Amino acid sequence: MDLLEESDEDVFRDEDEKVSKKGKFRVSAPKVDQLELLSLEIGTLSYPKSYQVNTPKEEKMLHYAENFRRQYIYLYPDRKPLLLNPLNECRVEKFVSTTLRPTLLKHEELYNWKDCAQFVADFLIVDPLDPINDVPEYLFSPTTFLKRQKGNCFDFSNLLCSLLIGTGYDTYCVSGYAVKEMCLVDETREICPLLKESDQINKEQEKPPMKKYSVKPVRELKSKFEMKQEARRLAEEKAEEERKQKELDYLADLKIKGTHDVMHGLRVHCWVLVLSGKREVPENFFIDPFTGNSYETTNERFLGIESIWNHRNYWVNMQDCKFGCKNVVFDLGDPVKWEYMLPDSDNSQVVLPESYEYLVDEVDDDDEKELEKIFDMPPSWVQPIVIPVKDIETRCPKGEKIIQYKKANLEKYAPYLNIDGMVKRLIEYEDIECTSFVKVTEWYANRKDMLERIERNMRTRTITEHFKNGRYMAVKRHIYRSSEPETDRTLKYNSRLRVDGLVSRVETPAEMTEKFKNRPDFLIYRQTIFAKRMRKVRLPGVFHLNYRTILKITERFARNRKKPAHEDVAEQVFLITAEHIHLTYHREDDRITALKREFALPPNLMQKDDQEINMEQIVVTFEVDPLAKPCKNVVLYQTMMDLLKTQAASMQSVRDSEHEIREFLKDRAAERKANELIISVYDTERNEKAKEHRKEQLRLEEEQRLRRAEEELDYLAPFLARLGQPRRITKKVAMTLRNDCLTDMKQRLIDKANLIQARFEKEAMELQNKQQWYQQNQIFMTKEDEQAYLAYCSEAMFRIHILEMRLNKHKETAPIKYLELEEKIRKDPRLAKKLKNC
Amino acid sequence: MSRLYKTIEPSVIDDEMLEEAVKKQGPSGRAGQIAQLEGIEFKDVKHLQLDYRNILKIDNLWQFKTLTKLQLDNNVIEKIEGLNTLTNLVWLDLSFNNIEIIEGLDELVKLEDLSLYSNRISKIENMDSLVNLQIFSIGKNHIDKLENIIYLRRFKRLRTLNLAGNPMCEDEQYSMYIPAYLPTLMYLDFRLIEKTTKEIALEKHHSAVANLMYHEDIAFKKLEKIRLQEEELALHKAAYVEYLNGPGLFNTMFSEDPEAPKLLMLPGVTEFVDIYPFTKAEFTNICQKLFTHGLKGYEKRQKELEHFLECLREAIEENQQKGVKVIKEFEEKNKEQFNEIQHMSDSQLLEIRIKEFRVEVNQLWNKLMSLEMQLVDQLEETMSNFERNISEIVTTYVENVQALIAQCRELENRYNENILEIAMTSYDKMGKNEGEEEMPEELRALFVDKDTVINTVNASHDMHLLKIDNQEDKMVTKANGWAADMIEMLHTDEINRNRKRVLEINIYVSHWRDELDFLELQDTN
Repeated sequence: MDLLEESDEDVFRDEDEKVSKKGKFRVSAPKVDQLELLSLEIGTLSYPKSYQVNTPKEEKMLHYAENFRRQYIYLYPDRKPLLLNPLNECRVEKFVSTTLRPTLLKHEELYNWKDCAQFVADFLIVDPLDPINDVPEYLFSPTTFLKRQKGNCFDFSNLLCSLLIGTGYDTYCVSGYAVKEMCLVDETREICPLLKESDQINKEQEKPPMKKYSVKPVRELKSKFEMKQEARRLAEEKAEEERKQKELDYLADLKIKGTHDVMHGLRVHCWVLVLSGKREVPENFFIDPFTGNSYETTNERFLGIESIWNHRNYWVNMQDCKFGCKNVVFDLGDPVKWEYMLPDSDNSQVVLPESYEYLVDEVDDDDEKELEKIFDMPPSWVQPIVIPVKDIETRCPKGEKIIQYKKANLEKYAPYLNIDGMVKRLIEYEDIECTSFVKVTEWYANRKDMLERIERNMRTRTITEHFKNGRYMAVKRHIYRSSEPETDRTLKYNSRLRVDGLVSRVETPAEMTEKFKNRPDFLIYRQTIFAKRMRKVRLPGVFHLNYRTILKITERFARNRKKPAHEDVAEQVFLITAEHIHLTYHREDDRITALKREFALPPNLMQKDDQEINMEQIVVTFEVDPLAKPCKNVVLYQTMMDLLKTQAASMQSVRDSEHEIREFLKDRAAERKANELIISVYDTERNEKAKEHRKEQLRLEEEQRLRRAEEELDYLAPFLARLGQPRRITKKVAMTLRNDCLTDMKQRLIDKANLIQARFEKEAMELQNKQQWYQQNQIFMTKEDEQAYLAYCSEAMFRIHILEMRLNKHKETAPIKYLELEEKIRKDPRLAKKLKNC
Repeated sequence: MSRLYKTIEPSVIDDEMLEEAVKKQGPSGRAGQIAQLEGIEFKDVKHLQLDYRNILKIDNLWQFKTLTKLQLDNNVIEKIEGLNTLTNLVWLDLSFNNIEIIEGLDELVKLEDLSLYSNRISKIENMDSLVNLQIFSIGKNHIDKLENIIYLRRFKRLRTLNLAGNPMCEDEQYSMYIPAYLPTLMYLDFRLIEKTTKEIALEKHHSAVANLMYHEDIAFKKLEKIRLQEEELALHKAAYVEYLNGPGLFNTMFSEDPEAPKLLMLPGVTEFVDIYPFTKAEFTNICQKLFTHGLKGYEKRQKELEHFLECLREAIEENQQKGVKVIKEFEEKNKEQFNEIQHMSDSQLLEIRIKEFRVEVNQLWNKLMSLEMQLVDQLEETMSNFERNISEIVTTYVENVQALIAQCRELENRYNENILEIAMTSYDKMGKNEGEEEMPEELRALFVDKDTVINTVNASHDMHLLKIDNQEDKMVTKANGWAADMIEMLHTDEINRNRKRVLEINIYVSHWRDELDFLELQDTN
């Protein structure tokens, strides 16, 4: 506080002195060279004026900032210089706040802060600060930055902040200090965010509240002492294990990190602060622009804050950052904690504490106060930010990006970049040095076979394929080791989309287990055990066409509440080779045992119908209720016959399942080879068919345009040409034109009439001749000749008739056409005036 | 039909006919043989067909308890009767008979398909209980009025209707009338009703149908209201507070007391004008309190009971699951073993194995029984806990009721004192021959002497007290009785459950023992 008091008194006295001491431009030589090189590379000469020159208002702002800086240096000689007015790409000084250009882009993908930050992180390449412990001397506009796709943390924050302010967040750029890993985008000590998410899912299983009358748990007859001993032993073991793990972790950490960072706390970093309040942000948080991750404002990775700014104002942090940013309060209205540069209209509610009142009086006379009143931040000199759709889609520079995490490696690709449609690959390693990998996960997009993700687990050597909805047979997941049929595999289905309600199918070499859901026949489970195949020499990839022998089928059913329990089968086991069928019925609701029946099928049951059979010998029943009436033999017999039918049906459905798996595997093999991708009909860039169509349409349009142009040919042109293209159309010329035109028209009409007349006459002549010829030769004619003659006659008559009609029509329309032309000439804009009085 | 009726003797449904029909329509082939051997019981028959038999009277069908489908077509039946016992019937065919009135179907609640085709019916009626009716065929009858159809509106599930061949079908409105009044119908006279037809029909008869629907709605609401009232009363009865939310008790006190109105006519009473209405208001107030208290008490008891039953159920369920698990484990473990034993030839080894197995079975029994005993212990404990709580609740409830009733009594006493005082003053006045002219005739008889006056007043008072006592008694004893019954019931239920489970366990275990005995026997042979 004392400092502050002092400040305002002294500043103005010593102002001149300071100007002479520290130059307004503190640009060191090597930097300029670098900047020059960069500017050349970018080609800044063609940039708009706002980039090259400062407006008077900007000049004023710069002046003001300079004043601020000088005061600041005077008051806090120990603190590092602030980033206030760096050079831009055209080597013009610009105030940092004006470099922010709030923009709302039309892309839906960038409306959320998370997606937006992720995009900025993905889209651009990191160029570390040089030197690492100073704020840069130059700061480019976001537009240039986007063009280069390369920049330091200030560029990143600048762009991200511009976009976030544009979408309505209360966002600020923060200049400060952070840990090494953050400044150098070293995420090798972070756990990959993709791996984190999966851990969070299975959390808390709520314990039901204790009920008043719940029975007391059974007392366990165990020695308490022994139990205690056991617990102690377990705890010790656990502690030991933990300790070991910690040690290992520490060692591994040390290996990666090396020794302590000597520059700790000096590394300059720039990041983004989002304050709560707008866009339903509940709490303040930081975003690291390099990774797009968000952190709490108390995170220990952020070591200190020098200043923050947005497009309206600039604040310098006056709080102690000895212990990181933990205790920093982001109440920008508090002038003790945050020294502002411009009195913002938003922060006008700021009331100085009473102890400052005398200060206010004093300042009142100064012209600076007046300046404060008038002055607000000049508008941004940067042109609006534009990000083409293609860039949004490509995301990473050249469409790919690789990030190293702790024990993991993430690769990102743009869609359609890889021929197989892969968009992401995550490799998880066993050890921290990343030598042997444990699991590889690949994400795919736009694949025709609906493949979404493949996980290859190196430890269990299994491959898991995840499919999107809409795949044939509603396959959701496929876990396997080998693509051969009759090996270990698990298939998961979307049961709602399947007619048979299949949920999963698990296969091992000698077994197949299927689970079902919501079936009208209440089947929930079917397990089939196959006989071992005779070992034959067979080539891989050649499918067996003959089926394996089925030994046993077990089917389980859910309870059908419409039937009484003792009629509702819970489990039926077909021992096919042993010719036994075991039935277990459902338990009654209050029982613990269930009715059971075993059928030992007599031989040749199906063939001989007249053979006597004794049901007592066939069926063995265990009845739960001794008082129940025994089941009738007829019913048992009918049940048995039904079961035989069911057995055949079940065997058939097992065969069908086997067939389905084979088909699926065949399809998969073909699809893996084909790597076909879908192209949306809305994707105008890639859809060849649509492109072709569009081209065709363009061509047609062009043609039509040409035709129309032709139609609109000037009817007066030939006559004008005859007159030697007169420049001005005088009355005389107009008259001549009209006369010429009309004469020409008349002539043409007459010509046409004559032409028709001539044809008509010719036709008539010919007919007459023919008739004469016929009359002369009629006697010698064969029947065919006569026929031909008659045909000719009728045809000729038809032609004559047509010509006659045309002639008549012409006679009718000719005057009309003539009049029309006359009218047209009269109304012609070129001639109208001249011919008015004719 | 009628010609046949004259020429051929009508027959009766007798045992012989039924036997024959059942035999003929029962299972065939080998199943038939087996069925023959053990005989078919009438009560197991599901379908029965008795057509073309000239039956005049439906009779002797009461044995077919599980019958779902009955065909009595092409007979000469004149009256629907004798079907009341066939409650499981889903399908009933009475077509081509001589029935004139629909009746006798009241018990056939499950009926879905009813055919009365080609009969002499002229009115659709008496079918209110057939709520599940889906297919109804009443073609070729004597129905002549379209209004008969409105009766069918109550069958919400009716989809198929056959009316062809009735006089009403000649009405030109027929084809539009039916779809309009029965919009849920899908098939009429063997044809699908098209959507457009339905729309046109509805359009045409819109106002009439709307009117009908309005009346139906009103009737429905009325019924609903009555039902709600009944429900409320039932609730009040269950809470022993019926007619207490008002001056009910007070009114009965006075209406059943012959002396009260006379006493109210005493000249003095009119001076204390507000004594009667005032007492009434206060009394009603207390009754209201009693009422709400009673309801609350009921709610509390019910909640407690529910709570307890839920926990009880959970405990039993859990125990049951444990038992099932034990059995399952046993079976999985021993199935193979048992098969092995069955096919063993070495008798010495067999003996050893059987012995081992016996030990296993014994262990199973032990496990299951100890589980059951655990449950019994647990339940006993919670049950006594519940008993204690419920009796506590009932006691507090009774105490509160008694307190409120005491207030009633006090009120009554005060009222009585007032009346007595008035009566005495009146009597004194009478003695002095004052105000005699104000006294009505009937009252004068009372004032013959002092004792009569006092007796009358006291009688009235006693009467009132009796009423109050009755109310108290009802509330208190019923509540106590309820608690006792409840606990009694719980105990018997628990005992039954326990017996059932023990029996079950023993049967299961003895089943295995029998198997083993059988094996041993085989072995020794």
